[in-house]
Amino acid sequence: MYLRALRPALSVSLIVLALLSSGCATAPQNPQQAALGGEDFHDPFEDVNRKIFDFNQTVDRHVLAPVARAYRSSLPEPIRNSLRDFLNNLQGPLNFANDALQGDFGRAKDTVVRFVVNSTLGMAGLVDLAGRWGIPYHEQDLGITLGVWGIPEGPYIVVPILGPSDVRDFSGEVAQGFADPWNILAADNNLLWVTFARGGVSGIDQRARYLDTLADIERTSLDYYATIRSLYRQRRAAMIRHERKNLPPPAGFTQNGGPAPSAAVVNQAPLQAVVYAGPNGAEVSR
Amino acid sequence: MIRRWFLIIGASVLIASMIEARPAETAADPATVITNLGNQALQVLGKNVGSEQRVARFRQLFTEDFDVPGIARFVLGRYWNIATEPQQQEFVRLFTDYIALAYSNRLAEYSGETLRVTGTRPAPDGSLVSSEIIRTNGAPPARVDWLLTQHDSAYKISDVVVEGISMATTQRSEFASVIQRNGGQVQGLIKALRQKTEAAGLH
Repeated sequence: MYLRALRPALSVSLIVLALLSSGCATAPQNPQQAALGGEDFHDPFEDVNRKIFDFNQTVDRHVLAPVARAYRSSLPEPIRNSLRDFLNNLQGPLNFANDALQGDFGRAKDTVVRFVVNSTLGMAGLVDLAGRWGIPYHEQDLGITLGVWGIPEGPYIVVPILGPSDVRDFSGEVAQGFADPWNILAADNNLLWVTFARGGVSGIDQRARYLDTLADIERTSLDYYATIRSLYRQRRAAMIRHERKNLPPPAGFTQNGGPAPSAAVVNQAPLQAVVYAGPNGAEVSR
Repeated sequence: MIRRWFLIIGASVLIASMIEARPAETAADPATVITNLGNQALQVLGKNVGSEQRVARFRQLFTEDFDVPGIARFVLGRYWNIATEPQQQEFVRLFTDYIALAYSNRLAEYSGETLRVTGTRPAPDGSLVSSEIIRTNGAPPARVDWLLTQHDSAYKISDVVVEGISMATTQRSEFASVIQRNGGQVQGLIKALRQKTEAAGLH
């Protein structure tokens, strides 16, 4: 998940990979795993994924994590927060497009208000004024939109440098990289370095935020790869459910595929009993 | 006449359903359980507590307030039935140690912060309580959902879902992966758990 923001920047070189993995998307699930009836990890390319994961871990240990640590220790928190607010604000146009594509006009309106307020009064996004006024930032991307439309995640993939993804999310990420107005503006003015700088800073900022958490998960995990895979897939599913509005179904009851009954249904249970008693009562009296 | 029968039966069903629903509410209010437990945990597992003591405290909390047998069964999934009885027993013991080890530090991140219950809804065999932890570092509140199941007169926690990520599902997925990579042998997982907890100085 870290370095997610680098994705738009590298989209050009990685489009080939996306096409490759889309081609692979039709590959059958690991038959051995299916025969065992084990957990479905959605990970038919696990062997390759694990190799890329190990490579990413090496790069992370020697380059990304040290840079993120230096970034965290050299810049005071308010400045880092301000930088993050600035980068988040740049996501405004794309977030608006995704909100709208999902038919979520309440959030689309929030995104517009945030972008207008923060870009002007908030000094080009350096101050998250709208957030302080009670309209917080929400993460959004094309992968979520595709998920909301009902497109399945497809096989889990680990992308070199960029980390965990799946065919749906990665394709969305690449396509979004081309649609980003700032990327288009930068490309038209031969300022491709701006795109890369934005992706780089954004990636380092993300990595810096999860330094302690990821180190702790890696230290305590029995199988770090499997844990990250599970975390990634659950988190993405939650983002597609739009967590703030809909409670997730309790884990213990989703394993057999059936969603837990919604609160409304459960609340209506006594009411239904009364209604149901109606015809029975009539029958008794008859 | 028909109408009167309808009313009488309708009313008695309604009353019966209310009486039936009552013990669940009087036993202990799920929201209160989580408010008390959550805030207690956030204080007990403070950053200034030594890591050994924190693991011990978390272990106690876990065994007292969580449905450990139920969770252990769930995270082992279909392998629970494949395991022999001694393997099941050893797994439950090692799993308890492992959870204390793995999660006590992760919770310490939230120490000194406040948990606020935001809602409760019924779930099969219990309740799902939503809460948020108000961060002191200016980050947006962390959303935590608790799945409570009823055991006799008390509620026990069956799962904790942080920002949509279920801890039970995560463990289940990881354990299944470890077992599969050990040729489908539960013993492979038990060995890995033993190594991890022994390396941390438990036992």
